[in-house]
Amino acid sequence: MISLGFRTLLSKEIRRFLRVPGQTLATPLLTTTLYFIVFGVSIGHQLREVGGVPYARFIVPGLVLMGVVQNAYLNSASSLFVMKLQGTIVDVLVSPLSYAEMLGAFVLAAVVRGLLVGGITWAVAGIFTGFEVAHPLLALAVVTLAAVAFAAGGVASAIWAQTFEQVNFFPTFFILPLTFLGGVFFSVRMLSPGLAAVARANPVFYMVDGLRFAVLGSSDASPWAGAGLVFLLAAGALTAAYMLLRSGWRLRG
Amino acid sequence: MPEPVVQIRGLTKRYGDLVALGGVDLDIRAGEIFGLLGPNGAGKTTLISIVTGLARATAGEARVLGRDVVRDYRFTRRHVGLVPQEINFDPFFTVEESLRFQAGYFDVRLTEARLTELLTALDLTAKRHTSARALSGGMRRRLLIAKALVHEPKVLFLDEPTAGVDVELRRALWAYVRTLRDRGTTVVLTTHYLEEAEALADRIGIIDRGLLRLVEEKTALMARSGGRSLEEIYVELVGRKEAAAP
Repeated sequence: MISLGFRTLLSKEIRRFLRVPGQTLATPLLTTTLYFIVFGVSIGHQLREVGGVPYARFIVPGLVLMGVVQNAYLNSASSLFVMKLQGTIVDVLVSPLSYAEMLGAFVLAAVVRGLLVGGITWAVAGIFTGFEVAHPLLALAVVTLAAVAFAAGGVASAIWAQTFEQVNFFPTFFILPLTFLGGVFFSVRMLSPGLAAVARANPVFYMVDGLRFAVLGSSDASPWAGAGLVFLLAAGALTAAYMLLRSGWRLRG
Repeated sequence: MPEPVVQIRGLTKRYGDLVALGGVDLDIRAGEIFGLLGPNGAGKTTLISIVTGLARATAGEARVLGRDVVRDYRFTRRHVGLVPQEINFDPFFTVEESLRFQAGYFDVRLTEARLTELLTALDLTAKRHTSARALSGGMRRRLLIAKALVHEPKVLFLDEPTAGVDVELRRALWAYVRTLRDRGTTVVLTTHYLEEAEALADRIGIIDRGLLRLVEEKTALMARSGGRSLEEIYVELVGRKEAAAP
Protein backbone atom coordinates (compact mmCIF):
# COMPACT_ATOMS: atom_id res chain seq x y z
CA MET A 1 0.00 0.00 0.00
CA ILE A 2 1.28 3.47 -0.84
CA SER A 3 1.64 5.36 2.43
CA LEU A 4 0.46 8.90 3.10
CA GLY A 5 4.04 9.73 4.07
CA PHE A 6 5.35 8.74 0.64
CA ARG A 7 2.56 10.61 -1.15
CA THR A 8 3.22 13.69 0.97
CA LEU A 9 6.95 13.77 0.24
CA LEU A 10 6.29 13.17 -3.46
CA SER A 11 3.69 15.92 -3.56
CA LYS A 12 6.02 18.33 -1.72
CA GLU A 13 8.86 17.59 -4.12
CA ILE A 14 6.68 18.14 -7.19
CA ARG A 15 5.20 21.35 -5.80
CA ARG A 16 8.70 22.57 -4.96
CA PHE A 17 9.83 22.57 -8.58
CA LEU A 18 6.48 23.87 -9.80
CA ARG A 19 6.92 26.90 -7.51
CA VAL A 20 9.84 28.05 -9.66
CA PRO A 21 8.73 27.12 -13.19
CA GLY A 22 10.98 29.71 -14.81
CA GLN A 23 14.03 27.97 -13.39
CA THR A 24 12.89 24.35 -13.51
CA LEU A 25 10.82 24.16 -16.69
CA ALA A 26 11.20 27.28 -18.86
CA THR A 27 15.01 27.50 -18.77
CA PRO A 28 15.68 23.93 -19.90
CA LEU A 29 12.89 24.23 -22.44
CA LEU A 30 14.44 27.41 -23.87
CA THR A 31 17.89 25.82 -24.01
CA THR A 32 16.81 22.68 -25.83
CA THR A 33 14.55 24.68 -28.13
CA LEU A 34 17.53 26.86 -29.07
CA TYR A 35 19.58 23.73 -29.79
CA PHE A 36 16.77 22.54 -32.01
CA ILE A 37 16.47 25.84 -33.87
CA VAL A 38 20.25 26.26 -34.33
CA PHE A 39 21.23 22.66 -35.12
CA GLY A 40 18.01 21.28 -36.48
CA VAL A 41 16.25 24.02 -38.36
CA SER A 42 19.10 26.37 -39.36
CA ILE A 43 22.09 24.08 -39.94
CA GLY A 44 19.83 21.10 -40.62
CA HIS A 45 18.77 22.62 -43.96
CA GLN A 46 22.40 22.45 -45.09
CA LEU A 47 22.73 18.76 -44.18
CA ARG A 48 21.49 15.79 -46.07
CA GLU A 49 19.20 13.28 -44.46
CA VAL A 50 20.56 10.93 -41.82
CA GLY A 51 19.46 7.34 -42.35
CA GLY A 52 16.62 8.55 -44.56
CA VAL A 53 15.35 10.97 -41.92
CA PRO A 54 15.56 14.79 -42.20
CA TYR A 55 18.29 16.06 -39.86
CA ALA A 56 15.89 18.27 -37.86
CA ARG A 57 13.75 15.24 -37.13
CA PHE A 58 16.80 13.05 -36.50
CA ILE A 59 18.01 15.15 -33.54
CA VAL A 60 14.63 15.43 -31.74
CA PRO A 61 14.91 12.16 -29.72
CA GLY A 62 18.39 13.12 -28.53
CA LEU A 63 17.26 16.60 -27.49
CA VAL A 64 14.30 15.14 -25.62
CA LEU A 65 16.52 12.64 -23.83
CA MET A 66 19.07 15.33 -22.98
CA GLY A 67 16.34 17.46 -21.35
CA VAL A 68 14.94 14.46 -19.50
CA VAL A 69 18.19 13.21 -17.96
CA GLN A 70 19.63 16.63 -17.10
CA ASN A 71 16.45 17.76 -15.35
CA ALA A 72 15.86 14.46 -13.59
CA TYR A 73 19.37 14.65 -12.15
CA LEU A 74 19.18 18.33 -11.23
CA ASN A 75 15.84 17.99 -9.48
CA SER A 76 16.76 15.25 -7.05
CA ALA A 77 20.33 16.48 -6.53
CA SER A 78 19.46 20.11 -5.87
CA SER A 79 16.39 19.37 -3.75
CA LEU A 80 18.09 16.90 -1.43
CA PHE A 81 21.27 18.94 -1.20
CA VAL A 82 19.37 22.13 -0.32
CA MET A 83 17.43 20.20 2.33
CA LYS A 84 20.76 19.13 3.82
CA LEU A 85 22.04 22.69 3.68
CA GLN A 86 18.90 24.27 5.18
CA GLY A 87 18.50 21.56 7.78
CA THR A 88 14.99 20.65 6.61
CA ILE A 89 16.23 17.11 5.93
CA VAL A 90 15.69 16.67 9.69
CA ASP A 91 11.91 16.82 9.09
CA VAL A 92 12.15 13.72 6.92
CA LEU A 93 14.82 11.86 8.89
CA VAL A 94 12.84 11.94 12.16
CA SER A 95 9.67 10.73 10.42
CA PRO A 96 8.61 7.07 10.09
CA LEU A 97 9.31 7.15 6.32
CA SER A 98 11.36 4.16 5.19
CA TYR A 99 14.47 4.57 3.03
CA ALA A 100 12.62 3.07 0.07
CA GLU A 101 9.81 5.61 0.48
CA MET A 102 12.25 8.52 0.71
CA LEU A 103 14.18 7.37 -2.35
CA GLY A 104 10.99 6.61 -4.27
CA ALA A 105 9.56 10.07 -3.61
CA PHE A 106 12.73 11.95 -4.58
CA VAL A 107 13.24 9.84 -7.71
CA LEU A 108 9.62 9.92 -8.85
CA ALA A 109 9.37 13.71 -8.46
CA ALA A 110 12.56 14.09 -10.49
CA VAL A 111 11.19 11.75 -13.16
CA VAL A 112 8.04 13.88 -13.36
CA ARG A 113 10.13 17.01 -13.93
CA GLY A 114 12.32 15.23 -16.49
CA LEU A 115 9.30 13.92 -18.40
CA LEU A 116 7.63 17.35 -18.30
CA VAL A 117 10.69 19.01 -19.82
CA GLY A 118 11.11 16.16 -22.33
CA GLY A 119 7.43 16.24 -23.23
CA ILE A 120 7.38 20.00 -23.80
CA THR A 121 10.59 19.79 -25.86
CA TRP A 122 9.04 17.06 -28.00
CA ALA A 123 5.85 19.10 -28.43
CA VAL A 124 7.79 22.21 -29.56
CA ALA A 125 9.95 20.19 -31.95
CA GLY A 126 6.87 18.37 -33.21
CA ILE A 127 5.46 21.65 -34.54
CA PHE A 128 8.36 21.69 -37.02
CA THR A 129 8.96 17.99 -37.63
CA GLY A 130 5.67 16.22 -36.91
CA PHE A 131 4.40 14.16 -34.01
CA GLU A 132 4.76 10.62 -35.35
CA VAL A 133 6.21 8.10 -32.92
CA ALA A 134 6.97 4.61 -34.25
CA HIS A 135 6.84 2.79 -30.89
CA PRO A 136 5.19 5.03 -28.26
CA LEU A 137 5.34 2.55 -25.36
CA LEU A 138 9.03 1.83 -25.95
CA ALA A 139 9.71 5.58 -26.15
CA LEU A 140 7.98 6.12 -22.81
CA ALA A 141 9.86 3.19 -21.26
CA VAL A 142 13.28 4.44 -22.46
CA VAL A 143 12.82 8.04 -21.27
CA THR A 144 11.32 6.91 -17.96
CA LEU A 145 14.13 4.45 -17.22
CA ALA A 146 16.77 7.01 -18.26
CA ALA A 147 15.13 9.56 -15.96
CA VAL A 148 15.08 7.04 -13.09
CA ALA A 149 18.79 6.30 -13.59
CA PHE A 150 19.78 9.97 -13.51
CA ALA A 151 17.36 10.89 -10.72
CA ALA A 152 18.82 8.14 -8.53
CA GLY A 153 22.28 9.38 -9.47
CA GLY A 154 21.18 12.84 -8.31
CA VAL A 155 20.13 11.45 -4.93
CA ALA A 156 23.49 9.70 -4.52
CA SER A 157 25.49 12.79 -5.48
CA ALA A 158 23.43 15.01 -3.12
CA ILE A 159 24.22 12.66 -0.24
CA TRP A 160 27.92 12.80 -1.15
CA ALA A 161 28.09 16.54 -1.85
CA GLN A 162 29.06 19.05 0.80
CA THR A 163 29.26 22.12 -1.42
CA PHE A 164 27.28 23.49 -4.37
CA GLU A 165 30.40 23.00 -6.49
CA GLN A 166 30.28 19.27 -5.78
CA VAL A 167 26.58 19.14 -6.71
CA ASN A 168 27.47 20.69 -10.08
CA PHE A 169 30.44 18.39 -10.62
CA PHE A 170 28.53 15.52 -12.25
CA PRO A 171 26.32 17.58 -14.58
CA THR A 172 29.30 19.63 -15.75
CA PHE A 173 31.95 16.96 -16.12
CA PHE A 174 29.91 13.82 -16.82
CA ILE A 175 26.33 14.40 -17.91
CA LEU A 176 26.98 17.25 -20.35
CA PRO A 177 29.92 15.58 -22.17
CA LEU A 178 28.22 12.18 -22.19
CA THR A 179 25.01 13.58 -23.67
CA PHE A 180 26.79 15.71 -26.27
CA LEU A 181 29.04 12.80 -27.25
CA GLY A 182 26.19 10.30 -26.99
CA GLY A 183 24.88 10.85 -30.50
CA VAL A 184 22.36 13.60 -29.84
CA PHE A 185 23.51 15.53 -32.91
CA PHE A 186 25.07 12.77 -35.02
CA SER A 187 24.84 9.16 -36.09
CA VAL A 188 27.81 6.91 -35.33
CA ARG A 189 27.78 6.02 -39.02
CA MET A 190 29.04 9.59 -39.65
CA LEU A 191 32.12 8.93 -37.46
CA SER A 192 35.45 7.29 -38.15
CA PRO A 193 35.77 3.73 -36.78
CA GLY A 194 37.86 4.98 -33.84
CA LEU A 195 35.41 7.70 -32.81
CA ALA A 196 32.49 5.36 -33.38
CA ALA A 197 34.05 2.89 -30.95
CA VAL A 198 34.38 5.69 -28.37
CA ALA A 199 30.75 6.68 -28.90
CA ARG A 200 29.66 3.05 -28.45
CA ALA A 201 31.43 2.94 -25.08
CA ASN A 202 29.18 5.77 -23.88
CA PRO A 203 26.05 4.50 -22.07
CA VAL A 204 24.10 7.63 -23.02
CA PHE A 205 24.60 6.68 -26.68
CA TYR A 206 22.40 3.61 -26.12
CA MET A 207 19.73 5.70 -24.41
CA VAL A 208 19.66 8.19 -27.29
CA ASP A 209 19.78 5.39 -29.83
CA GLY A 210 17.04 3.45 -28.06
CA LEU A 211 14.77 6.48 -28.02
CA ARG A 212 15.64 7.23 -31.64
CA PHE A 213 14.51 3.72 -32.59
CA ALA A 214 11.32 4.14 -30.57
CA VAL A 215 10.51 7.49 -32.23
CA LEU A 216 11.88 7.10 -35.76
CA GLY A 217 11.87 3.33 -36.18
CA SER A 218 15.59 3.13 -37.05
CA SER A 219 18.76 3.13 -35.00
CA ASP A 220 22.53 2.63 -35.10
CA ALA A 221 22.68 -0.18 -32.53
CA SER A 222 20.28 -2.87 -31.43
CA PRO A 223 17.37 -1.11 -29.69
CA TRP A 224 16.98 -4.07 -27.35
CA ALA A 225 20.59 -3.76 -26.23
CA GLY A 226 19.89 -0.09 -25.52
CA ALA A 227 16.69 -0.87 -23.63
CA GLY A 228 18.49 -3.56 -21.64
CA LEU A 229 21.37 -1.25 -20.79
CA VAL A 230 19.14 1.61 -19.64
CA PHE A 231 17.20 -0.85 -17.48
CA LEU A 232 20.43 -2.09 -15.89
CA LEU A 233 21.64 1.48 -15.34
CA ALA A 234 18.37 2.46 -13.66
CA ALA A 235 18.46 -0.64 -11.44
CA GLY A 236 22.13 -0.06 -10.57
CA ALA A 237 21.66 3.64 -9.78
CA LEU A 238 18.59 2.92 -7.64
CA THR A 239 20.45 0.24 -5.72
CA ALA A 240 23.46 2.50 -5.14
CA ALA A 241 21.30 5.42 -3.99
CA TYR A 242 19.29 3.14 -1.68
CA MET A 243 22.45 1.69 -0.10
CA LEU A 244 23.89 5.17 0.44
CA LEU A 245 20.66 6.44 1.97
CA ARG A 246 20.41 3.42 4.21
CA SER A 247 24.04 3.71 5.34
CA GLY A 248 23.22 7.13 6.81
CA TRP A 249 26.52 8.46 5.46
CA ARG A 250 26.56 12.28 5.61
CA LEU A 251 22.89 12.25 6.64
CA ARG A 252 22.65 10.67 10.06
CA GLY A 253 25.41 11.36 12.58
CA MET B 1 5.66 1.81 38.91
CA PRO B 2 4.75 2.39 35.24
CA GLU B 3 7.33 1.57 32.56
CA PRO B 4 9.43 4.59 31.59
CA VAL B 5 8.45 6.29 28.32
CA VAL B 6 12.09 6.43 27.25
CA GLN B 7 14.68 3.88 28.40
CA ILE B 8 18.33 4.41 27.61
CA ARG B 9 20.87 1.71 28.45
CA GLY B 10 24.62 1.91 27.95
CA LEU B 11 24.20 4.45 25.18
CA THR B 12 27.58 5.14 23.63
CA LYS B 13 28.55 7.32 20.72
CA ARG B 14 32.08 7.75 19.44
CA TYR B 15 33.29 9.96 16.62
CA GLY B 16 36.73 8.50 16.00
CA ASP B 17 38.64 9.04 19.23
CA LEU B 18 36.06 11.46 20.61
CA VAL B 19 33.58 9.92 23.04
CA ALA B 20 30.39 11.96 22.75
CA LEU B 21 28.40 9.59 24.97
CA GLY B 22 30.17 7.19 27.30
CA GLY B 23 27.57 4.59 28.23
CA VAL B 24 24.57 6.57 29.45
CA ASP B 25 21.71 4.94 31.39
CA LEU B 26 18.59 7.04 31.78
CA ASP B 27 14.82 6.59 32.21
CA ILE B 28 12.32 9.29 31.32
CA ARG B 29 9.02 8.97 33.13
CA ALA B 30 5.61 9.48 31.56
CA GLY B 31 4.21 12.98 31.88
CA GLU B 32 7.29 14.68 33.30
CA ILE B 33 9.43 17.55 32.11
CA PHE B 34 12.99 16.30 32.22
CA GLY B 35 15.66 18.97 32.01
CA LEU B 36 18.98 17.78 30.62
CA LEU B 37 21.69 20.26 31.52
CA GLY B 38 25.25 20.43 30.39
CA PRO B 39 27.86 22.61 28.78
CA ASN B 40 28.37 22.81 25.02
CA GLY B 41 29.65 19.51 23.67
CA ALA B 42 28.52 17.57 26.76
CA GLY B 43 26.45 15.09 24.72
CA LYS B 44 22.93 16.53 25.12
CA THR B 45 22.17 16.84 21.40
CA THR B 46 23.87 13.52 20.63
CA LEU B 47 21.62 11.75 23.12
CA ILE B 48 18.49 13.34 21.69
CA SER B 49 19.63 12.66 18.14
CA ILE B 50 20.01 8.94 18.81
CA VAL B 51 16.56 8.63 20.38
CA THR B 52 14.89 10.58 17.57
CA GLY B 53 16.74 8.78 14.76
CA LEU B 54 19.05 11.57 13.63
CA ALA B 55 22.16 9.70 14.75
CA ARG B 56 23.17 6.10 15.31
CA ALA B 57 24.61 4.80 18.53
CA THR B 58 27.99 3.09 18.58
CA ALA B 59 26.75 0.81 21.38
CA GLY B 60 23.85 0.49 23.79
CA GLU B 61 20.18 0.92 23.10
CA ALA B 62 17.33 3.38 23.38
CA ARG B 63 13.67 2.45 23.70
CA VAL B 64 10.54 4.55 23.34
CA LEU B 65 7.33 3.10 24.82
CA GLY B 66 9.22 -0.17 25.21
CA ARG B 67 10.26 -0.45 21.55
CA ASP B 68 13.77 -0.20 20.17
CA VAL B 69 14.35 3.03 18.22
CA VAL B 70 16.34 1.24 15.51
CA ARG B 71 14.45 -2.01 15.00
CA ASP B 72 10.98 -0.49 15.50
CA TYR B 73 11.73 2.98 14.15
CA ARG B 74 8.39 3.30 12.38
CA PHE B 75 6.58 2.81 15.69
CA THR B 76 8.86 4.90 17.90
CA ARG B 77 9.10 7.86 15.54
CA ARG B 78 5.31 8.13 15.36
CA HIS B 79 5.37 8.84 19.09
CA VAL B 80 8.32 11.20 19.21
CA GLY B 81 8.53 14.88 18.27
CA LEU B 82 11.73 16.88 17.92
CA VAL B 83 12.35 20.60 17.99
CA PRO B 84 15.92 20.82 16.71
CA GLN B 85 18.43 23.30 18.03
CA GLU B 86 19.04 24.93 14.66
CA ILE B 87 16.13 26.79 13.10
CA ASN B 88 15.22 25.35 9.72
CA PHE B 89 12.48 26.27 7.30
CA ASP B 90 11.54 25.59 3.71
CA PRO B 91 11.31 28.95 1.92
CA PHE B 92 9.10 27.51 -0.82
CA PHE B 93 6.12 26.94 1.45
CA THR B 94 3.72 28.73 3.79
CA VAL B 95 3.20 28.00 7.47
CA GLU B 96 0.09 25.93 6.72
CA GLU B 97 1.79 23.97 3.94
CA SER B 98 4.81 23.25 6.15
CA LEU B 99 2.53 21.87 8.85
CA ARG B 100 0.49 19.78 6.41
CA PHE B 101 3.64 18.26 4.91
CA GLN B 102 5.07 17.47 8.33
CA ALA B 103 1.84 15.77 9.39
CA GLY B 104 1.82 13.78 6.15
CA TYR B 105 5.35 12.46 6.72
CA PHE B 106 3.97 10.92 9.91
CA ASP B 107 1.00 9.40 8.05
CA VAL B 108 -1.33 11.86 9.74
CA ARG B 109 -3.98 13.81 7.86
CA LEU B 110 -4.02 17.24 9.51
CA THR B 111 -7.57 18.22 10.38
CA GLU B 112 -8.71 21.82 10.28
CA ALA B 113 -9.41 21.65 14.03
CA ARG B 114 -5.89 20.44 14.85
CA LEU B 115 -4.33 23.00 12.51
CA THR B 116 -6.32 25.81 14.12
CA GLU B 117 -5.39 24.57 17.58
CA LEU B 118 -1.67 24.55 16.78
CA LEU B 119 -1.73 27.94 15.06
CA THR B 120 -3.60 29.44 17.99
CA ALA B 121 -1.40 27.85 20.65
CA LEU B 122 1.75 29.11 18.99
CA ASP B 123 0.37 32.49 17.97
CA LEU B 124 0.76 31.81 14.26
CA THR B 125 -2.84 32.24 13.15
CA ALA B 126 -2.16 35.53 11.38
CA LYS B 127 0.78 33.92 9.56
CA ARG B 128 -1.10 30.84 8.33
CA HIS B 129 -0.67 31.76 4.65
CA THR B 130 2.68 33.51 5.04
CA SER B 131 5.79 32.03 3.47
CA ALA B 132 8.21 30.64 6.08
CA ARG B 133 10.82 32.87 4.42
CA ALA B 134 8.91 35.97 5.60
CA LEU B 135 8.69 34.94 9.27
CA SER B 136 10.78 36.49 12.02
CA GLY B 137 13.27 34.35 13.95
CA GLY B 138 10.85 33.93 16.85
CA MET B 139 8.02 32.91 14.54
CA ARG B 140 10.24 30.38 12.81
CA ARG B 141 11.06 28.93 16.23
CA ARG B 142 7.32 28.66 16.95
CA LEU B 143 6.74 27.02 13.57
CA LEU B 144 9.40 24.44 14.48
CA ILE B 145 7.52 23.63 17.66
CA ALA B 146 4.22 23.38 15.80
CA LYS B 147 5.83 21.00 13.29
CA ALA B 148 7.16 18.81 16.11
CA LEU B 149 3.67 18.61 17.66
CA VAL B 150 1.66 18.13 14.50
CA HIS B 151 1.38 14.34 14.93
CA GLU B 152 0.58 14.63 18.65
CA PRO B 153 3.71 12.86 19.95
CA LYS B 154 3.75 11.25 23.37
CA VAL B 155 7.33 12.42 23.92
CA LEU B 156 8.57 15.83 22.84
CA PHE B 157 12.30 16.58 22.66
CA LEU B 158 13.17 20.25 22.81
CA ASP B 159 16.84 20.85 22.00
CA GLU B 160 17.80 24.28 23.36
CA PRO B 161 14.37 25.69 22.44
CA THR B 162 14.94 29.18 23.78
CA ALA B 163 18.48 29.76 22.54
CA GLY B 164 18.56 33.29 21.17
CA VAL B 165 14.89 34.12 21.70
CA ASP B 166 13.62 37.23 23.50
CA VAL B 167 12.25 37.22 27.05
CA GLU B 168 8.60 37.50 26.00
CA LEU B 169 8.76 34.52 23.67
CA ARG B 170 10.78 32.52 26.19
CA ARG B 171 8.11 33.01 28.84
CA ALA B 172 5.37 32.12 26.34
CA LEU B 173 7.21 28.93 25.36
CA TRP B 174 7.68 27.96 29.00
CA ALA B 175 3.95 28.37 29.59
CA TYR B 176 3.18 26.24 26.54
CA VAL B 177 5.59 23.50 27.63
CA ARG B 178 3.82 23.35 31.00
CA THR B 179 0.46 23.11 29.18
CA LEU B 180 1.77 20.20 27.12
CA ARG B 181 2.99 18.44 30.25
CA ASP B 182 -0.38 18.99 31.92
CA ARG B 183 -2.07 17.36 28.93
CA GLY B 184 0.11 14.28 29.33
CA THR B 185 2.97 14.91 26.91
CA THR B 186 6.37 13.91 28.24
CA VAL B 187 8.91 16.66 27.60
CA VAL B 188 12.67 16.27 27.45
CA LEU B 189 14.34 19.64 27.40
CA THR B 190 18.01 20.29 26.86
CA THR B 191 19.29 23.64 27.89
CA HIS B 192 22.31 25.36 29.25
CA TYR B 193 20.14 28.08 30.76
CA LEU B 194 19.96 27.02 34.40
CA GLU B 195 17.07 29.37 35.08
CA GLU B 196 15.07 27.56 32.42
CA ALA B 197 15.66 24.15 33.96
CA GLU B 198 14.86 25.52 37.41
CA ALA B 199 11.60 27.06 36.17
CA LEU B 200 10.37 24.14 34.08
CA ALA B 201 11.84 20.77 34.95
CA ASP B 202 10.32 18.19 37.27
CA ARG B 203 13.58 16.23 37.22
CA ILE B 204 17.03 17.33 36.27
CA GLY B 205 19.92 15.47 34.70
CA ILE B 206 23.39 16.94 34.40
CA ILE B 207 25.60 15.58 31.66
CA ASP B 208 29.25 16.40 31.07
CA ARG B 209 31.80 14.92 28.69
CA GLY B 210 29.33 12.23 27.64
CA LEU B 211 28.57 11.02 31.18
CA LEU B 212 25.51 11.62 33.34
CA ARG B 213 26.76 13.20 36.56
CA LEU B 214 23.39 13.49 38.30
CA VAL B 215 19.72 12.65 37.85
CA GLU B 216 17.35 13.84 40.56
CA GLU B 217 13.96 15.35 41.28
CA LYS B 218 14.38 19.09 41.13
CA THR B 219 12.61 19.70 44.45
CA ALA B 220 14.68 17.03 46.22
CA LEU B 221 17.86 18.37 44.70
CA MET B 222 17.09 21.91 45.81
CA ALA B 223 16.02 20.72 49.29
CA ARG B 224 19.21 18.79 49.98
CA SER B 225 21.47 21.44 48.52
CA GLY B 226 21.23 23.51 51.66
CA GLY B 227 20.01 26.67 50.05
CA ARG B 228 22.48 26.60 47.21
CA SER B 229 21.20 27.56 43.77
CA LEU B 230 21.06 25.15 40.83
CA GLU B 231 23.90 27.14 39.34
CA GLU B 232 26.15 26.39 42.32
CA ILE B 233 25.29 22.68 42.18
CA TYR B 234 25.96 22.67 38.45
CA VAL B 235 29.34 24.36 38.80
CA GLU B 236 30.32 21.92 41.54
CA LEU B 237 29.48 18.92 39.33
CA VAL B 238 30.70 20.16 36.00
CA GLY B 239 33.66 22.02 37.41
CA ARG B 240 33.19 25.09 35.33
CA LYS B 241 30.55 27.73 34.85
CA GLU B 242 29.62 27.63 31.24
CA ALA B 243 25.88 27.84 31.49
CA ALA B 244 24.57 31.35 31.53
CA ALA B 245 21.40 32.86 32.80
CA PRO B 246 19.13 33.91 29.94
